[in-house]
Amino acid sequence: MSQKFERVQAGEKAFDWLLMLFSIGVLVEAYRIDGIPSLNSPGSFPVGLALVMIASSAVILFSHRHKRRDPRIRDARHEFQVFWKEHFQPHIVVFTLVAVAYLVAIVWFSFYVSTFLFLALLFIYYRQGRVISSLVIAGGSLAVIYVLFTLVFRVYLP
Amino acid sequence: MFQPTFTRLALAIGAAAMAGTALAEYPERNIQGTIQWGAGGATDNVARSLTPHVEDILDTTIILTNRPGGTGVIGMNHVMRQRPDGYNLLYGAENPLLYPLMGLADFTYDDMHSVNIIGQGLVVIAAPADSQFDSFAELLEHAQANPGELRMGGTGAGGLPSTVLAMVNAVDELDVRNVTFGGDGPGITAMLGGHIDFMPLSLAAAGEQIRSGKMKGLAVLTSEEIEALPGVPPITQALPDIESFLPWGPFWGVFVHQDAPEEAKKVLADAYEQAVASEEFGDFMENFGAEVLNLHGEEAEQYLDNWQSVTAWAMYEADAEILEATPEELGIPRP
Amino acid sequence: MSDTFSYLLMAWLDPQLLLLTALGTLAGIYVGAIPGLSVTMAASILISFTFSWDINNALALMVGIYVGGVYGGSRTAILLNIPGAPSAVVTAFDGYPLAQRGEAGQAIGLSTVMSVIGGLIGTLVLAGSAPYLADMALEFAPRDYFLIAILGLLLVSTLSGKSLARGIFSVALGAIIGLVGMDMVTAQPRMTLGSMELLGGIHYVVVMIGLFGAAEAFYQLHNLNVVPVKQKVDKIIPPLKMVLKYLPLSVRTSIIGVIVGALPGTGGDIASLFAYDHAKRTVKNPSKPFGEGAYEGLVAPETANNAAVGGAYVPMLTLGMPGDAVTAVIIGALVIHGLNPGPMLMIETPHIFWFTVGNLALANLFLLLFGLTGIKIFTKVVEVPKAVLIPLILVLCVVGTYSINSNMMEVYWMLGFGILGYWLKVFGFQTGPIILGVILGPLLDKTYRQAMSSVGDSGSDFLLALVTNPLSLVLTAVIVLVLLGQTPVKPWLMRRIRRH
Repeated sequence: MSQKFERVQAGEKAFDWLLMLFSIGVLVEAYRIDGIPSLNSPGSFPVGLALVMIASSAVILFSHRHKRRDPRIRDARHEFQVFWKEHFQPHIVVFTLVAVAYLVAIVWFSFYVSTFLFLALLFIYYRQGRVISSLVIAGGSLAVIYVLFTLVFRVYLP
Repeated sequence: MFQPTFTRLALAIGAAAMAGTALAEYPERNIQGTIQWGAGGATDNVARSLTPHVEDILDTTIILTNRPGGTGVIGMNHVMRQRPDGYNLLYGAENPLLYPLMGLADFTYDDMHSVNIIGQGLVVIAAPADSQFDSFAELLEHAQANPGELRMGGTGAGGLPSTVLAMVNAVDELDVRNVTFGGDGPGITAMLGGHIDFMPLSLAAAGEQIRSGKMKGLAVLTSEEIEALPGVPPITQALPDIESFLPWGPFWGVFVHQDAPEEAKKVLADAYEQAVASEEFGDFMENFGAEVLNLHGEEAEQYLDNWQSVTAWAMYEADAEILEATPEELGIPRP
Repeated sequence: MSDTFSYLLMAWLDPQLLLLTALGTLAGIYVGAIPGLSVTMAASILISFTFSWDINNALALMVGIYVGGVYGGSRTAILLNIPGAPSAVVTAFDGYPLAQRGEAGQAIGLSTVMSVIGGLIGTLVLAGSAPYLADMALEFAPRDYFLIAILGLLLVSTLSGKSLARGIFSVALGAIIGLVGMDMVTAQPRMTLGSMELLGGIHYVVVMIGLFGAAEAFYQLHNLNVVPVKQKVDKIIPPLKMVLKYLPLSVRTSIIGVIVGALPGTGGDIASLFAYDHAKRTVKNPSKPFGEGAYEGLVAPETANNAAVGGAYVPMLTLGMPGDAVTAVIIGALVIHGLNPGPMLMIETPHIFWFTVGNLALANLFLLLFGLTGIKIFTKVVEVPKAVLIPLILVLCVVGTYSINSNMMEVYWMLGFGILGYWLKVFGFQTGPIILGVILGPLLDKTYRQAMSSVGDSGSDFLLALVTNPLSLVLTAVIVLVLLGQTPVKPWLMRRIRRH
């Protein structure tokens, strides 16, 4: 098992550097809390945690010395292309965009209208255009959600 | 091809959803009730026993959530930041009246609408059952011989214990370690385990434990012995000078956003007045060692102003240095 | 004595109570299984429904919900790798790999039987040792809670597989998220970046739904067209041989569960963690390596979290102290019905105590019934094509998040955590340790400062107390042992020894 992980994923090193930067940001923010040098102050714990984060991300970065890039990846530019292809496939990008649009739509329309649109759109897209059955499933799901949350649990929905 | 069906369905669902909101009267859905202190404490107990009566009257559900921390600032801040639609209530104790004084927050109950001041309680200074002290006088004597040694349970700056400590310090000297808990409930647990040496508590939270012998009452914050705790001396026995601040005690109230619709404010005021007046709740409060006030509107505002002025000036006289602002600067009149 | 006996059987003989317990258990399973719907929430809503009822009826329904809910969380953990409740986080470690191998039916069957065994042992311990255990729980000083939280965090980070550094980073990240908001002592804003929105902190359910629900939805998009594993649901009832094989382990982990459950503030989530670690240490030859679908890794947390239910009732019924969030709500219910939860409760109203004990046992039997019969419908969830499932998961996440505070802002946060969780998962970080960090971080901060205040802010006195108090000494020793056992120190020492 351990040998499998010796290979670094496309973009992994960059991500680990980002985590290091984030940890430093946390330290700066934690340091702004009052009473830092004291052992018992609002800031003592956050600063300690930030130091732990920095230390562990340093260890993670250090471990890259023992890892190799996939030999098929030629250079940094190629790595970026592989990364892009892996994580920005059309159906992932569409899902993310539709999800964001859905959350925005909830505020403008009501919950049920936007949920129906969201489900119907994605069902149709992912099931390659089986429109009628997708609409039926979306409608059915909506009915179940209505019964369960609005009637049974009396959850207030926007 | 599917477009017309689709639109029609969407419209139908939308219309159904909207019809629901337009026709209903307040309250047409669940109300969120935020308790600014932790579970098992006095505020929590009062809120949880009163709420079912109100739910009955309003014919809705009030979902209670404890949001303790920061002397109640966290819970109050949460309610003030919600939409002012009357669906978010705050169950609070006395602390918010002291926020600006302690520099905890720049708001007080003046920034909310008081639905009802439910009742007020008495304070007892409690110690573990096996404590070496039998009275507050003994504790004071020990603390003065060993300053900064005794561990007092607290609930954060501006909480009831710190206010009582300030009053004591206004007339005498008591230097202790302040161990902060999320409310009187967790404080009592720590006391039962002997992890703190004493803690000023509301009688409501501590009475049962003292009567059953799990804790010891060192003094009640009154000028005379009280019926609910026979044998526990009044604090004036150890500190006669503290009498000028008495009678003093914590109170509990229900509050709603200042900009809540008038209709909601009125419905709530009526419902809470009726619920607090109910016999069952009255019995509960009596059992609980607390007095029912049931104030709303003008009376409630007057009560709050009076409590604030008495306490703020007492704290100012005790130790002006711990305050972030003087009562004068905040425009709090002298009692 | 005969009184005690009649109180015990009260729930078994009254048809109405019987029905309510059954209904509560069934509803609890579904509430627990749906991420975002919590038992705490269901119980607090029920308080309002049941306040006009007879106290016994109300308690029967709540006991059912509680028992069913703690169990229900494990189902979605096994089937979808989305724990329905924090106490099922650990169940997913081995439960989900089992489902991926097509053994979901077997896994659920075994987890049901084991949950019931754990629940019954928890109930027995509650009946036998309530006053004694409650006294013991009181002995824990803030310092000891601090040590337990440290131990919890340590266990979480070492459980996270791939690398220790990643585990520790995840836990610390979670703890930082948990600390966002106003400080408990001084009400000073911490880590809020000056935002008013963040003053009240980030609700841990928001983080949980984001990291477990939304992130999983994003992550599963990678294998959108993979046909789901056909789940073997024909073998639901586990063979007796299998149950007997794991019985010794389940008894041990049940006892761990009861003890952790009885500590105020720690419930099934931490109990299951301890139990899992115990199993990992003591079981030499698991059915599969831990984390890849070991039945032992399923048995341990499942018995422990159900046993913790019995444990949580111990301090509640003897002292009026909630053992966890759900018992806190039930305390509220007792108060509403005019009872005084506290040391006097068992003396003045012993029937409440014995009724609860009998009722817990009954709810566990119903759990066995519903747990072994309803699986087919449940397993179908996994066979739903991903194309339908993934958008639905996101909708459930939105509903679950919104229903906590009716706050759209938190829904946006949830999605943000979902995207963050996706990237962390991609690069080998696990989301489980983050969420446990969110829960344990604030506890750690609070107890650390209480402990420091208790010794007058003296660092040396604090360290001294860790080794002079017997209870603290034991906990400190355990932590040191875990550290030695889990850090690279051990392999490093072994290598050195071998070289010589």
